[in-house]
Amino acid sequence: MDIKLRNLVPRPLKDRFILRSSGIWNSEVDLRHKEWVKVKAPSGTGKTTLVHVLFKMRHDYEGMVYYGDRDLRTIPAGDIATIRQKQVSIIFQDLRLFENLTARENIDLKRVMQTAIYPPEVIDDMAERLGIQGILNQPAGICSYGEQQRIAIVRALMQPFEWLIMDEPFSHLDKDNTRKAAALIAEECKKRNAGFLVTDLEDDDNFDYTRHYDL
Amino acid sequence: MFNTILKKIIRSGVGKSRSLMAGLGLFIALLLILSAVQIQVNYNELLYGKTNQDSIANFLVVNKRINGNNPDNSLSSAEINNLRKQPFVDAVGELTSSRFKISAQSPSDRFPFYTDLFFESVPDAFIDVKSSDWHWQPGSTNIPLIIPNQFLDLYNFGFAPSQNLIQLTQAMVMTIPVVINVQFHGQTVPFTGRVVGFSDRISSVLVPQNFLEWANRQFGTQQSTKTSRVVIQTSDPGNPALVRYLKDNGMVTDADKTRFSKYRQIVNTIVSASWITGAVMLLFALLVFSLFIQLTIASTKNEIRLLITLGTSPSQLQRFLMKQFVPGNVIIVVVSVLLIALLQLLLQMYLARQNMHISPVISFYTIGTALLVLAVLWLVNHRTVRKYINENAEA
Repeated sequence: MDIKLRNLVPRPLKDRFILRSSGIWNSEVDLRHKEWVKVKAPSGTGKTTLVHVLFKMRHDYEGMVYYGDRDLRTIPAGDIATIRQKQVSIIFQDLRLFENLTARENIDLKRVMQTAIYPPEVIDDMAERLGIQGILNQPAGICSYGEQQRIAIVRALMQPFEWLIMDEPFSHLDKDNTRKAAALIAEECKKRNAGFLVTDLEDDDNFDYTRHYDL
Repeated sequence: MFNTILKKIIRSGVGKSRSLMAGLGLFIALLLILSAVQIQVNYNELLYGKTNQDSIANFLVVNKRINGNNPDNSLSSAEINNLRKQPFVDAVGELTSSRFKISAQSPSDRFPFYTDLFFESVPDAFIDVKSSDWHWQPGSTNIPLIIPNQFLDLYNFGFAPSQNLIQLTQAMVMTIPVVINVQFHGQTVPFTGRVVGFSDRISSVLVPQNFLEWANRQFGTQQSTKTSRVVIQTSDPGNPALVRYLKDNGMVTDADKTRFSKYRQIVNTIVSASWITGAVMLLFALLVFSLFIQLTIASTKNEIRLLITLGTSPSQLQRFLMKQFVPGNVIIVVVSVLLIALLQLLLQMYLARQNMHISPVISFYTIGTALLVLAVLWLVNHRTVRKYINENAEA
């Protein structure tokens, strides 16, 4: 599935981007299937806004977003749920875990929401690779930010997807953990033949990007 | 598996005690409604059921209320026709009375008796005695008679002991011929009467109708008399409409047979009160349940929104929520039906001892009503869940 943006501008940012050009806002962008896309965005340029628009979480924009041939605005709630279960996965900047559930339950939620593609042991394997196996049975609310970020990463990798959208996925991780997490993500994307879009403040070499954009 | 996790996320935000109260309200409402239906069914069964058919009760002898100021207490043909037209009257039989003087006496000196007498006749269909001897051949001097059972009782338990006479069985009375003398222009015309049956229904001395018609033509000395009594056949002597009609038209009947009418009015009132209370309570229970669902959804709004953001479909959430509410409803309905079934069994055993027969199991109407209530509950729950989940899904 390709994701196409046509003259997309969030209304709150409209005035700013009429004056200056942007790689994404107010232009024609085709995010092709299997591409590994990096969006570099300084603070305040609408990085999180872009992620939320792409995930159909906000509608206050002009221009169009297409999933394949479908106008994102017109896709009904039931279909969006199916897309979020099978085609598009996400790692939020603000993580969005259920604080009262344990780390394992948070991850398992996305494993069993649709037909599971992985057995439960995969949670332990991934957790071990990211160094969070010790907190799996702890409520997510009392985990540190770095731990919560890794829980969110594993959660996003539990489901099938064609696109993985990541909003500053390593912001709370040190270099070593970032390397491990990026390796796991790259591995899982390759397994699925999937593309991703990652936003960050700076340039990095966490992945072998096929395309770069400046917001 | 998914639902196990959902259960941890969407805990009922309203607490156990409130859900218990809502359940209790529904339970009482159901009990009232179901018992109203079951009581109605039982009552109809008592009224119209074959085993409870009392042949006496379906025939009523109706006459005008005797009023000392009014010399004429007969029923006019207009009144009889009007009675015939009433929906609760199946048939009307007029009692014809004799218009000549009759006396009866014993043929033997062993039971000496003499009495002045009268005859009445009514169409055979209205008589509760079936006897092959109940017919009169024109020209015959033998007349079959039907006398009230009370006559024999009066004799056996009142007259005979006081006069030192032997008590008689029905069979003995039926073997004794009676000499009947008809007075006609100063002459005595003799007939032989024989009792062929005893009636519980009509308190009169009955002769076959064709005999009385012939005898009235032959010996009648007075103008054709008016009808003073009729027998009506009705499928439901307890019908309050019948009782009201008789009262409004100054007629009376055996009060014992229509006393059911009063019970019936009481039962009707109880049933309606139970119905109305049950329906109102059901309405409140439905309201409480839908508020309950709204509150649960509202109090876990953030969790539901996050679930939807993470890709949970509205229909998954609806199914999950319905699973939280519907089993409770089903249990309440099943328990109410079982309780009503138990009460019905106890009632049946109690009434059987009083010789009233109702079914030991609850009726299909009762089960149908329970299913209907369940369907309504499901519908209300489903609509509420869908409405409030969709509100969150669109947000």
